Amino acid sequence: MSFGDYYTYGLHIRSEILCPELMPHAQPGEDPEVTIRLLSEVPQVTESLENKYFEVQPRTFRMSVEGVAHYVVEDGRRISVEPAEGATVDKIRLFLLGSAMGALLYQRGLFPLHGSAIETPWGAMIFVGPQGVGKSTLGSQFHRQGYKVLSDDVCAVTPGSAGMEVLPALAHFRLCTDAFERLGVPESGIFHVDKFVVPLGDGYCSHPVLLKAIHVLGNQESGDPKFEVLRGFDRVKFLLENLYRPEYLEHQSTQSDLMRMAGAIAQQSAVVNVTRRRDTALIATMVDFLESAWEENFGPAPVKETSEGEWTNAQL
Amino acid sequence: MRSFKPEDKLSRTEKMLSTDLDQETVLMSIEAGAYYGMAGTARTIWAKLETPMTFAALVDELVKQYAVTPEACAAELQGFLGEMEKEGLLHVG
Repeated sequence: MSFGDYYTYGLHIRSEILCPELMPHAQPGEDPEVTIRLLSEVPQVTESLENKYFEVQPRTFRMSVEGVAHYVVEDGRRISVEPAEGATVDKIRLFLLGSAMGALLYQRGLFPLHGSAIETPWGAMIFVGPQGVGKSTLGSQFHRQGYKVLSDDVCAVTPGSAGMEVLPALAHFRLCTDAFERLGVPESGIFHVDKFVVPLGDGYCSHPVLLKAIHVLGNQESGDPKFEVLRGFDRVKFLLENLYRPEYLEHQSTQSDLMRMAGAIAQQSAVVNVTRRRDTALIATMVDFLESAWEENFGPAPVKETSEGEWTNAQL
Repeated sequence: MRSFKPEDKLSRTEKMLSTDLDQETVLMSIEAGAYYGMAGTARTIWAKLETPMTFAALVDELVKQYAVTPEACAAELQGFLGEMEKEGLLHVG
């Protein structure tokens, strides 16, 4: 069985499902932290799920996507995938790298926010907000203007040696990932996920970055965009409200840890309310607006240090 | 609203998640999804009640920490603890 070794969310993942979206791991010979196996038959998964879409236990997460696959995520270390008959690999990967990965991150004690993240001279900036508000669009606009992308769907935050960090996720930018997952498989059974896979080339960031601010995006009817740094416990509320797939959190011990992390994140980084008119013509100006707001609120852009070890992308 | 007696045993509800921010402790009710911010004296009271204790014992603790007479402290606590109980943050045994 062939497999690929990847580096994502700070993890060495060895997967029997090849994922061109992910960064190849520089030391594939080392032991992986996570293994993803493709199984042709996992009968107990089908039986225990009945008609439920997903099931959360303390160390086990199970999910069934009709016409695509069954997934089991265990102990933050193993993902098993049983494809449905006729399922295509791109759809299997979509749910693998979205929902199943989200469940894995929770099992590993990371704080997954639903949004996009970029690297800036001030540090990592995350954009979250309700479905359809434009988090991915804004992330991709920054990418177009030369910023490096950390992630475009699930932003994993974790305590690092110098403070809260955002972990790098993808080597390819996938627009509308969330829209596809929510729509599921259309009637025709045909949708081309790869159409939306945009190779990032140099545009992805391959190392963790200190978190500077989380921006909660919102719409407004009219007027200039607004940038409001929040104070007080609203910050904790917004962080918890923007977790990725919060329905995957059923257990109080995980919830307690996440609550504590939300407090730590709010202490160490800014939580900002950004509202603007929803107008496609404005998208490029949003980058200018945010750059000015960052300078005004966080001081002039720190001078970038030269990076120490450039990630070399092994071509498969 | 209840009138607390010195021997009433007070304890915090288990059903809150909590975290600390600069000046306040933030509580979130798992069931109701409601958030509470406890600052200053409220924060201290919440912290002290991590160990269940009687109303009288709580007054004693607070009087040691704050410049307040036992009578004034007890009078203030009646109102505050009453609110806490109403919000489901406090058990009285």
